[in-house]
Amino acid sequence: MSSLYERIGGQAAVDKAVEIFYRKVLADDRINEFFDGVDMEQQINKQKGFLTMVFGGPNNYTGKDMREGHKHLVARGLNDSHVDAVIELLGATLQELGVVAEDIQAVADIANSVRDDVLNR
Amino acid sequence: MPHIIFDEQRIELDEGQTVLSALLDRGYDIPNSCRAGVCQTCLMQAVEGEVPETAQTGLKDTLKTQGYFLACSCEPQTPLRVVASEANILRCPATVIEHELLCADILRLRLEPEQGVDYRAGQYITLWKDDMIGRSYSLASVAELDEYLELHIRRIPDGIVSNWLHDEIKTGDTLQIQAATGNCFYIPGSAEQKMLLAGTGTGLAPLIGIARDALRQGHSGDIQLIHGTRQVDDLYLHQTLLDMATQHANFHYHASVLQADKLTAPISTVPLEQRVMELATDPTDWRIYLCGDVDMVNTLKKKLFLAGASISNIYTDPFVSAPDA
Repeated sequence: MSSLYERIGGQAAVDKAVEIFYRKVLADDRINEFFDGVDMEQQINKQKGFLTMVFGGPNNYTGKDMREGHKHLVARGLNDSHVDAVIELLGATLQELGVVAEDIQAVADIANSVRDDVLNR
Repeated sequence: MPHIIFDEQRIELDEGQTVLSALLDRGYDIPNSCRAGVCQTCLMQAVEGEVPETAQTGLKDTLKTQGYFLACSCEPQTPLRVVASEANILRCPATVIEHELLCADILRLRLEPEQGVDYRAGQYITLWKDDMIGRSYSLASVAELDEYLELHIRRIPDGIVSNWLHDEIKTGDTLQIQAATGNCFYIPGSAEQKMLLAGTGTGLAPLIGIARDALRQGHSGDIQLIHGTRQVDDLYLHQTLLDMATQHANFHYHASVLQADKLTAPISTVPLEQRVMELATDPTDWRIYLCGDVDMVNTLKKKLFLAGASISNIYTDPFVSAPDA
């Protein structure tokens, strides 16, 4: 039984998914205000790290990183509805790339597992 | 909080404070210009301690390994002993061989450096007024085609360096220049790729260099160059670009001005950003260069990315001016 990360396509899938995902994020009025004025290259690198993690790949994320990295956004009003939107866009990205529903659910589960850290609660 | 040692003094840094800001606060006269990690004017050297990676962005490996760093983007996490870099470490004298006004406020400087300067068309060099004051200018020349370095200098109101270059410097004078840097240049390969070059004002300098470099290397895909200015008289290389379009079937020139009494193609008053998006309706595989006004660069970068361009295909050179002009 191959791992989730391998089934999705590993590093190559991350590289392919990241721009599709980021485009969806920037185009979505529910969440794009949180991305105003950020450096696009840096943001893409951060999102590669995020995608690698939720695809079940090798990553060094800790709960502390998640908390620190989103503290300023929580202060600006980041809440569950925004996390829901991100997970929805993640699912739409994976669907476009032909990932099966079961694996998309597994990715959403990993993303949900860091929800409390992201929202600093 | 971390501290630095400079001039045998221990200097405490505030949270998030840069080495440059701490030294300026203490009254040290440290050369600096953009304060955004771009121009490399505030180059310093760490002789003890660990320099954060971000403070060495854009430096040559040879400098990195010697502990050189940019004081304006250095927020050390651990103690650091720093020294001023030797004023001439990167500098080289160059003679002015041409000093010509191209339009009301843009000067063309052609320089002959005393020693060869390695650069890619589209990169920028720093030009020094004295030991302390330097400004970055993009190169408009192409190393393989031109025997001189060419810069386009816009006169900035109250600009210390630009006014000096416009009013006091003349042909035959010697200036101090500093090695070329920057990531906005043509990379050979994918010769059939469509290219988009958009710039405002002297953002045209790197773009014309990049276009000539691409043509020189046999780029066969269409190259669309769009120059945006306030008025028709500011289209300072209009005839040159028209000639290039005549000579090269795949080179296309468009001009966008804010105001004009009468318009002749390829000049239009359709705003630059709109013009770009009309030309690049599907920029998915295009190679894109954006130079000049910071807002224009950031807006178009985002719009083109959303329209399908890949971030790795978008090269930018936003012009950051010095805080004290």
